[in-house]
Amino acid sequence: MEEWRFIDFRLVDIRDMMAMDEAILKSDEGNTFFFWTPKKSIILGFFQKADIELDIPKCKDYTITRRISGGGIAFSDERCRQINYGVVGTIDNELFPMDIIGSYKQICGVLIDTLLHYKLNAAFRPINDVVVDNKKISGNAQTRWEGKLLQNGTLLLDFDIEEMLRISNIPKEKFLDKKIASVREGLTWLDRELGEQRDMEEIKNVIKEKFEERFHVGLKSGTLSEKEKELTNTLSPKYYSHEWVYR
Amino acid sequence: MDVKQGIHKSKGGLIRSFVTTENGKIKEINISGDFFLFPEEALFKIVQELKGTKAERKEVERKIAEIYDLENIQSPGTLPSDFTESIMKALEG
Repeated sequence: MEEWRFIDFRLVDIRDMMAMDEAILKSDEGNTFFFWTPKKSIILGFFQKADIELDIPKCKDYTITRRISGGGIAFSDERCRQINYGVVGTIDNELFPMDIIGSYKQICGVLIDTLLHYKLNAAFRPINDVVVDNKKISGNAQTRWEGKLLQNGTLLLDFDIEEMLRISNIPKEKFLDKKIASVREGLTWLDRELGEQRDMEEIKNVIKEKFEERFHVGLKSGTLSEKEKELTNTLSPKYYSHEWVYR
Repeated sequence: MDVKQGIHKSKGGLIRSFVTTENGKIKEINISGDFFLFPEEALFKIVQELKGTKAERKEVERKIAEIYDLENIQSPGTLPSDFTESIMKALEG
C-alpha cells in the first residue's frame, strides 16, 4: 500500500503553523496529511480585510494572521478544542479531482466519515462546509499551487459563539439565504452533538483511519524535511508582519 | 470623499466593496470577503483595472469578465456578475 506522510504539530502558534503550511505546499515532499490545534487566534481569509471583518480593539488578546487561501475567519478561543488539519496532494483527477468543489467534497468526506462513525447526521454542503443536521461543524479552505492543492479545515469540538460574535463584524446578510435566523443556530460542535467531551487524541485517530480508508493509503508519521524547515524560516516573517495581516 | 459600501452575497461567499468615485469614474476601490478565487493574486488585478473605469454596470462587468478570461480565474460559486452587483450596490447606495 502506498504510504503518505503524516505529521501532528499539536498545539501551535498560528503564525508558525501558516508558515509551515505554505512550506509544505511549496516543497516537494509528497502527499501529506497533518493536524494541529491553534492557540487563541484569528486567521483571516486571503481576501478579508482585518478592520472590516474584526472589531480590532476587542481582539487584543488574539494572535491574528492571514492565510494564503480564501474563505472566512478561522477563530480559535482559549479552550483550544479544535482539530485543524491540512492536506497537501498532487491533483491527479482521481484522489484529488481537478474540479474545485469535487476536491473539497473528497477531502471533506474524511470528516463526514468521522462524524458518521459517531452516529451523527453529517453531510457535505457545497462549497466548503461540513454540516451536522444542517449546522456547520467544519469550515474548509483550499488553494492550489503548481499542480498541487492545499486544503485546511477545522473540526470544532467546542466553540464559544458569544466570543466569536463579540470580536467580529458579521453582517446579517451572510446567513440570510441559508434560512438561518442567527449564527447561533447555524453552527455546532462535536461536544454539543455528543453530549460529552471525547478525548481529542481518540477523535484524531478516527480521522486518520477514515483518511486512510478514503484515500487507500497508509499514513506514516514523519517530520518536516530540512528544505521545508528552511522555507518555513523564509516564509515566517510574512505571517508575523503588519503588512500581511492588516493590508 | 465618502467611501460607499456595497454588500452582496454570492453562492461562494460574501463580497464587500468600498468605492469612491470622481467625475463618474471609479477612483478608489477595495474588496473584502470570504469568497474563494484562484489564482488569489488575480483579485489585485481586478481591483487595479477597475480604477478609472466608468461607474456603470456594463463597464464594470465587462472589465471584470475580461480579467477572468485573461487570468483564467476560477471562483466557485462566485461570478463576475456577483462582484459587479456588490460594486453597483456601493455605487448606487
